[in-house]
Amino acid sequence: MSSKRITKELSDMGRDPPTSCSAGPVGDDLYHWQASIMGPPDSPYAGGVFFLSIHFPTDYPFKPPKISFTTKIYHPNINANGNICLDILKDQWSPALTLSKVLLSICSLLTDANPDDPLVPEIAHIYKTDRPKYEATAREWTKKYAV
Amino acid sequence: MSTISIHIKSGQNNWQVSIDTTASIATLKDEIAKVSEIPATNQRLIYSGKILKDDQNVDFYNIQDGHSVHLVRSGKKSTPTPATTNTTTNASNNTVPSNISAGQTGGFNPLADLTSARYAGYNLNLPSADAFGPDGGMNQSGTNPDEFLSMLDNPIVQSQMNEMLSNPQMIDFMIQSNPQLQAMGPQARQMFQSPMFRQMLTNPDMIRQSMQLANMMGMGPGARGSTNATDNAASSFPAPGGDDIINNNNTNTNTNTNTNNDTNDTATSNNDNANNNASSANTQNPFASLFNPTANNDSTGLAPNPFLAMLNNAGAGSGTNNAGATGTLPPFDPSMFASLFGGAGAPSTTPQQQDTRPPEERYETQLRQLNDMGFFDFDRNIAALRRTGGSVEAAVNALLNGDV
Repeated sequence: MSSKRITKELSDMGRDPPTSCSAGPVGDDLYHWQASIMGPPDSPYAGGVFFLSIHFPTDYPFKPPKISFTTKIYHPNINANGNICLDILKDQWSPALTLSKVLLSICSLLTDANPDDPLVPEIAHIYKTDRPKYEATAREWTKKYAV
Repeated sequence: MSTISIHIKSGQNNWQVSIDTTASIATLKDEIAKVSEIPATNQRLIYSGKILKDDQNVDFYNIQDGHSVHLVRSGKKSTPTPATTNTTTNASNNTVPSNISAGQTGGFNPLADLTSARYAGYNLNLPSADAFGPDGGMNQSGTNPDEFLSMLDNPIVQSQMNEMLSNPQMIDFMIQSNPQLQAMGPQARQMFQSPMFRQMLTNPDMIRQSMQLANMMGMGPGARGSTNATDNAASSFPAPGGDDIINNNNTNTNTNTNTNNDTNDTATSNNDNANNNASSANTQNPFASLFNPTANNDSTGLAPNPFLAMLNNAGAGSGTNNAGATGTLPPFDPSMFASLFGGAGAPSTTPQQQDTRPPEERYETQLRQLNDMGFFDFDRNIAALRRTGGSVEAAVNALLNGDV
């Protein structure tokens, strides 16, 4: 059941991927994928390519995929381990969502962070109080780790 | 040998190139450079989540006819590949776990998941640093039972504990990682499967009650341990008092007897030092030895143990306290709980070794040594000793490095 759905997503992903994301299996294991997200042009992450690791649960799509960044990124909702604080990856997951939509949501999270539900409170604080400083640091990290 | 047509996507731009599947990525980039006017050295191509490397062929990445490849312009001359992608291009690396816990005990380690994205958004109230005490858990003097209990009240924690306990693999893991449980053999697994036992581990009220009981007795687990030890070691000689109490507990609370015995076993091995003293010194009257701390010290030949005196006192008192509480309190030993979770890596909040003495008393000898060495700043000395768990050598290092 889950493998059929994942195969379908894979073929959709190859034929018509979202503008700024790309994903596919790491090796022969259909349940372990990697993805890359290109930093949105209107964000301090522009020009960077961020890699993510994706694990599909065996009961996918009834449970959300586990997604984490493998590239370091300075963001209020993404911590040093690459864990992402995003509702649709947790309690707001719906089987109607696809990986492609999830990756697009992560893209938009990069453009518009959610400092009110932070995973890294320090970054959220800077985001709220000193936006230029946040953008400078995010740009610096992007240059250092994602270019 | 076939030619495929690939869409190249870069932001709003979209180009189409035809390429032979045996051609190299470098050749593909040259083709793209012709249509996009982006020099090949400034191109980063991404397909299926991977960065395409110049020296590989198009068919290595299994790029299909009509599929899209992303192009990212890079400012650098070369096309650097972040280290993270290196591992992923090789199929044999499938088995390499990607989180930090890789390489821990072979096979199943349920705690490895804690580092994964799954836990990122749960506002799981993991214990704060305080829960491990001032020495970062090096000694168990500062554990805060309240904090631990409030963690147990959290429904997420509860459901996770339930999930954990109903997973046979998890039980295997817990048994494997705890030598005391290992020694119990198949009984241990039986014990875990009993619903009563599960409730004991997951019901915060029960744990709270038993912790209260333990605190009431001063050094609860030790005390319970000694009575239990007598119970087990000398079951053929019903010891006065001790045995009856345990049995009363069994009947009054309608506990599964099996579970209860197992509980005792664990507690026993957990408190080896104290118990052996108690049970071997005098089987017929276990309490005789308890009233005589010096005899205990001598008989074991152990270095004088500061807890021993307290354990002994508690042992003496436990008879009565326990009897009084029999009707209302479940026969549960918090030390067992602690030892299980100590094994599984969670914070153990055993009140067993709670050291309530003020630091100047606890570290008296170490402080004197530090003074002899010329460290006279009391506060810094204490801070250093607390941080290093009482090791003078490490404390001196900390003081010299200005860490405190």
